[in-house]
Amino acid sequence: MKKRIPAVFLLLVILAGGLVLRVSRYGYAFQDRGAIMAPSTAEHWTGTDELGRDRTVRVAAALFIGLMGAAAAAAITTAIAACFGLLAAFSPSSVAALLMFLSDGFLSLPWLFLLMMARSLLPLTASPLETAVTTFLVLAALGWPACAHAIYRGARSLRSAEWMIQGRACGLKSRQLIRLHIVPHLRPLLLPQFLVCVPAFLVAEANLGALGLGVGEPMPSWGAMLLELDNSALLARSHWVYLPIALLALLLLILESFAEVETHA
Amino acid sequence: MAIAMRVGRSLLLMLFAAAGTILLVRFAPGFFSDSREMDARYAQAARAEMEAESDQQQSANQIATQEVKSWLNGGFGQSRQYNVPVAELIGARVRVSALLLAQGILRGWLLAVCAALPISGLRRGGFLWSLPFTLLLAIPASAMATACILANAGGPVLVLSLLIAAREFKFLRSLLEGAWRSPHLLQGRARGLAPMVLVRAHIVPNIAPQLCALATLSIVTALGALVPIEVIFTVPGVGQLAWSAVMNRDLPVLVAVSLLMASVVGFAGMLSARDVTLEEA
Repeated sequence: MKKRIPAVFLLLVILAGGLVLRVSRYGYAFQDRGAIMAPSTAEHWTGTDELGRDRTVRVAAALFIGLMGAAAAAAITTAIAACFGLLAAFSPSSVAALLMFLSDGFLSLPWLFLLMMARSLLPLTASPLETAVTTFLVLAALGWPACAHAIYRGARSLRSAEWMIQGRACGLKSRQLIRLHIVPHLRPLLLPQFLVCVPAFLVAEANLGALGLGVGEPMPSWGAMLLELDNSALLARSHWVYLPIALLALLLLILESFAEVETHA
Repeated sequence: MAIAMRVGRSLLLMLFAAAGTILLVRFAPGFFSDSREMDARYAQAARAEMEAESDQQQSANQIATQEVKSWLNGGFGQSRQYNVPVAELIGARVRVSALLLAQGILRGWLLAVCAALPISGLRRGGFLWSLPFTLLLAIPASAMATACILANAGGPVLVLSLLIAAREFKFLRSLLEGAWRSPHLLQGRARGLAPMVLVRAHIVPNIAPQLCALATLSIVTALGALVPIEVIFTVPGVGQLAWSAVMNRDLPVLVAVSLLMASVVGFAGMLSARDVTLEEA
């Protein structure tokens, strides 16, 4: 039951976003030059930004881009962490210590700072899609150490399990042991790691975007939406400018509750 | 021996950060881009000079050698953007950032401890009392800073404190909940020992190693939050310098700032009791 509440809320948010994109006449990049910084109207339900782009559509598109990007990055990061953790767990102790030192080094460095640096080193002419893909790939590449530690510890405990010893005694190869025994046993550990990464990546993207280093315009993103709050003329005209920040907080709350419930399940 | 191990580990971490930064910078797709090339104020001759200058730094080895030479000279090289020694640039900003970090972390911890201690002891209603912290966790640092500016209330220290408090509250609460449930604490409570005595004599000594590791993590969290906070509140600190270096591809400043960050984290890790790893905290 506890699991279902955040899942239902998440589904509702996604459905609402999908419905907006389906029924709206405008694309996220379409600029209505006759309705620049418009307040809420029948045509633009939550008004427009300083370029005349429909805010409802942009928020809905940002929701999908953010969720898909963060979910893909979380899947990649969990996969990297699983490989790294398993490699360390099944290596000799000196190799494992070295691998865990590397991971600890990554874990100790300020994440956003690394992200900012990696993201800034893209070519100046990168397209919006390239910036979006790179932003989430960089997130995936830098987010694995925390998960790798958890997986390493999980795999270490499995390594000495009795059924593993029996498997080895029966002549199963390491690859078979990992595929048939370790991965299914690690699944309850991998899912929470994935769910924890999704909101963390959304927050990181929002922070990067607010610094002008996230997904490139005109593609909508939470970070770019937060930049709207710097426009005092927009703020004076409509309270709908606060919609992205309110929706982002709601989404993060849902995702964090989801991860919390799954972690304690 | 343990101290030597910690010092060695911190030095290795710094070396790792420096090598990582140099490799990242060298093999980044935008390594050959220089934002000054798009600045119309530079004359053709100046552009040619800049091109020749960047041509000299083609391999990671050359960059590393140059960096080491400049560290040995104590200057950390010359900033591309400001054309002054990097050490001079960073030196002026370190104090501002250090003060902000110290105030933010101290106040954040104070808030987290004051809230987590009574809430962890509750049998019911803990979820509701923790809700403000859960909400704070769901707000990105940049959004919180922008909200403060719009509301004309609070400043960088408040935002940093709230961020640290929200994050540490979660860990502190689960640590304290575990501690309250331990058998010797139950016996102490049954014998009528005052809560403050229990906290001072039993809980704090038991969770001290985890608290130290958490404190190290707080520094890492605060350093990460420093950039958006300093940029949005226009605080002239290291975070703002890092952002400006990133925007202008000022590589010597980037390498120096990443080394500084790694040194701070390495030093904090060295001071904290590392019997407990960061992950275990």
